[in-house]
Amino acid sequence: MNPQSTTATPAPHRRRRTLNRVSFVVYALLSVMVFVSVFPLYWMFVVATTDSATATSLPPHIVPGENFLYLARLVFDTVPFVQALINSLVVATTIGVGQAVLCALAGFAFAKLSFPGRNTLFLIVVLTMTVPAQLAVIPQYLIMSNLGWVDTLQAVIVPGLVSAFGIFWMRQHIGSAIDDELMHAARVDGATTGQIFWRIAFPLVRPAAFVLGLFGFVSAWNDFLWPFIVLKSPERYTVQIAIKALQNNRDIDLGLAMSGSFLATLPLLVLFVFVGRRLVQGIMEGAFKG
Amino acid sequence: MKRVITTAAILATAVLLVVGCTPGSGGESAADSKTFEFWSFTGINQKAAVDNYTKAHPDIQVKLTEVGSTTETAQALTTALAGGKVPDLVLIQGDDLPKFMQSPDNFVDLSTLGADKMKGDYLDWVIKQSTTKDGKVIGIPTDVGGLAIAYRTDLFKAAGLPTDRDEVSKLWPTWDGFLEAGKKYVQATGKPFLDNASTSVFFQAVNQGTERYYDADRKLTYEKNPQVKAAFDLSLKIHSAGITSKITSWSTGWTAGMSKGDFAVVSAPSWMLNAIRTNAPDTSGKWDVATIPGGAGNWGGSYLAIPKRAKNPKAAWNYIAEMQSPAGQLAQFLRQGSLPTTPSVYSDPQLIGKTDPFFSNAPIGKIYTQSVLGIKPFYIGPEDATVGSEMLNTLVSVEQGQVAPGDAWNTAMTNVKNALRG
Amino acid sequence: MLSPAPAAKTTARPTRYRHIQQGMRERLLPYAYVAPFFLLFFIFGLFPLLFTFYIALFDWDPIGERHYVGLENFTELARDPRFWGAMRNTFSIWVLSTVPQLMLALVVAHVLNHVRLRAATLFRMSVLVPYITSVAATTIVFAQLFDRDYGILNWILGLLGFQHFDFTASVWGSHFMIAVMVAWRWTGYNVLLYLASLQAVPRELYEAAAADGASGWKQFRHISIPSLRPIIVFTVVTSTIGGLQIFTEPLLANPVGGLTCGAARQCQTLTLFLYEQGFGRFHFGYGAAVGVALFVMVVIVAAINYLLVTRIRSERP
Repeated sequence: MNPQSTTATPAPHRRRRTLNRVSFVVYALLSVMVFVSVFPLYWMFVVATTDSATATSLPPHIVPGENFLYLARLVFDTVPFVQALINSLVVATTIGVGQAVLCALAGFAFAKLSFPGRNTLFLIVVLTMTVPAQLAVIPQYLIMSNLGWVDTLQAVIVPGLVSAFGIFWMRQHIGSAIDDELMHAARVDGATTGQIFWRIAFPLVRPAAFVLGLFGFVSAWNDFLWPFIVLKSPERYTVQIAIKALQNNRDIDLGLAMSGSFLATLPLLVLFVFVGRRLVQGIMEGAFKG
Repeated sequence: MKRVITTAAILATAVLLVVGCTPGSGGESAADSKTFEFWSFTGINQKAAVDNYTKAHPDIQVKLTEVGSTTETAQALTTALAGGKVPDLVLIQGDDLPKFMQSPDNFVDLSTLGADKMKGDYLDWVIKQSTTKDGKVIGIPTDVGGLAIAYRTDLFKAAGLPTDRDEVSKLWPTWDGFLEAGKKYVQATGKPFLDNASTSVFFQAVNQGTERYYDADRKLTYEKNPQVKAAFDLSLKIHSAGITSKITSWSTGWTAGMSKGDFAVVSAPSWMLNAIRTNAPDTSGKWDVATIPGGAGNWGGSYLAIPKRAKNPKAAWNYIAEMQSPAGQLAQFLRQGSLPTTPSVYSDPQLIGKTDPFFSNAPIGKIYTQSVLGIKPFYIGPEDATVGSEMLNTLVSVEQGQVAPGDAWNTAMTNVKNALRG
Repeated sequence: MLSPAPAAKTTARPTRYRHIQQGMRERLLPYAYVAPFFLLFFIFGLFPLLFTFYIALFDWDPIGERHYVGLENFTELARDPRFWGAMRNTFSIWVLSTVPQLMLALVVAHVLNHVRLRAATLFRMSVLVPYITSVAATTIVFAQLFDRDYGILNWILGLLGFQHFDFTASVWGSHFMIAVMVAWRWTGYNVLLYLASLQAVPRELYEAAAADGASGWKQFRHISIPSLRPIIVFTVVTSTIGGLQIFTEPLLANPVGGLTCGAARQCQTLTLFLYEQGFGRFHFGYGAAVGVALFVMVVIVAAINYLLVTRIRSERP
């Protein structure tokens, strides 16, 4: 963009010319961004389909090879990858659904019910929202060890159900979705709080709860540090930990970890094709609330 | 409103259900004597040994996990001991063992299972490392890491160096001779001679001494021990001579370089032969094994141990007893080349006569047992792994151009001190 | 699910006793809603946080003994060059990833805001692909792209006549590499955030500025940036707290580097250092002290955030 020349031309012309030039720049910029965003995934696929010798030769081969099935089988032989996929699915689904429901319930209470201690409790949520769980992995490990939960999936699931952000999010949505008059009217009609929640509030904020659950699902699927600490037996691995195990076994084949990464990302990509729109909307809505 | 309480109750139950239904959270069958779980490290092909065992005992199922490097395996074991599900059998590398010897209660005293009768079978200084002062046997040694040098005959030939292993061994009775041979190779080919000076020189030379990081009184003396300093300086000297490819051992470049002939020589403790075989299967027959400069030494060697909370210690012990008996270790050596810790088989004609086609039919039994028999055992203490890895890391930093060779020793000493207090 | 009992049933029998009971229940009811959350939150969120401070006062070996040592772990930490090195690495990776990432996102969002885009949804989804890719997978790919011997990047460097560069070995190389991974992951996400905020800015503002002859750059500086200020603060804070948590990239980017991310700890971050102390060396007390240090940093960041936000609010008309 060259602002000087654009201001020098008469107005009607200027408009069209800048638009053309702008749109060229815009589309070039977008193409670069899309390319950069997608290329590493493509490259993952390329290496996951080529043999070690090809993958470690220069110039690089940028078309997929024919080794995909061989490497995939090697992945399944080296670590229990099917089990890892199941584990990840169980963990991520439970966390996604659990977060949505727990946060909707609590968010409803914070937005629409009044009770002693409400503000204090909410303040605690807000204050801890920014504190990452990572810094407390050592005590968390000791707690799990005392519960006898180390090396079990619930060690990952149960703490993952809690999302301070989720409460915040659901409270905002429920707060703006249901006005107090509606609540009042429902009460006059004899509806109990439970009925108000399940029949009025929850259906209204279901899309928001869905998006929350989606975010919970994605981040649980991709979580690394905590599962890496508590899940030690191969049959408990989530896919991310399986990737690390495959990397450890790189003496077997250099493409192993890459093939595992690809197989671990594929389910999310498929999911993304169907619900990606909702994620985009969720992020863009979050911009207003955040 | 009743419903809300019901809802809360249902939620709570749901949480519990999730917890309860998570695969394996409680329903694991307690002691199935036919199955046991075995943690090993990567890179030494433990799978072959296990397959062999299960072939002989088709009713037994061994769940083998190759956790990661030796260090990662020891870390995973510690984490498990601290409160997780422990394996029934675990392989511990020699340098990592002393840390575990500090809390022997975490393991089954193997003499209660029969190790007291087998103790005399093993090299005295090796089994001593895994025996507590009051006589508890924590681990049974599986192998020792006798030292030697693996080299590529084809590349030596191209460089005009001798290819016969005896002649090659004669090139380097000392590390200085080794350096000279390296210079000749580089001159002739313009390519690096050795993979690196950190692992391939320092970790060999430091294990050829009479004392390492501790003295005979079990005090940490790495800083004052002239043998450690000499090994360190030797590594720097060989690095500065420019005959190495500066590729860190176990990195992807190292694995790939081994297959591609990017370097002609790798220091090879006996267990390394297996690593070369796995990393560079295409180079079969192109390697040979010569003696190491500077005399006898031992690096590595591992122990099998059974954690106290193991579900099936009996099956694990049966595995140990069979695989680690003198006959078992001999068979294992003949299959895979890991050097027995049972001296009674060192004169066995099968061992002496053993040649390895991958390594140009080198008599690996003869070469490695000689390197171990001349050994002067030293005390290995709980901080040995830390001291060793910090010193090695400093040398790797030198090779990567991040630390000047002149500063290396001081840097290493500072790093060791920092690591020891943390 | 949970088909409701007819509402009339509960109101039909208004005995006095029932009334009291009902009142009790109505009062306790809200707690039933928040209980599941807070139960888990207290056990697995708040309690570990407080417990960290306690553990940090001990020399705590999970498979051996533990001794009370008071504040010794903290004085040790203050003198430990590994800790300060990890601090430096964390900070440098944060700067290298956050600054270019947010700037780029701002510019892209500003430009996008001005055009009616074809295939907008497709674009938005594509730039969000990195966000749904796990950090572990991302790191594996980028480590390969940056490989000294066989990586595409070094191949290009070679074509341009440069020597191959070992990114993992040097301080800046490894920081740059990790920063690229972080930026790749979050740039698209931030573009969407900014874009959403910009679309709330009245178009007339831009049109009036354009009529006054303000250039694109001036519009960017004087309209876009000021209206985005709250969300910029938000993203800076999020990425700072995210930056303090960087762990997987340095762990997986350099597989031979182990828990130190290389021989000279050149890219060991604070969280990786915490992990090394806790689960590599099993010094739980010392690791917990690192956790406390991280906590203090988070509090400082949050405080700065609070100050900035209140200032922005008070500046607004």
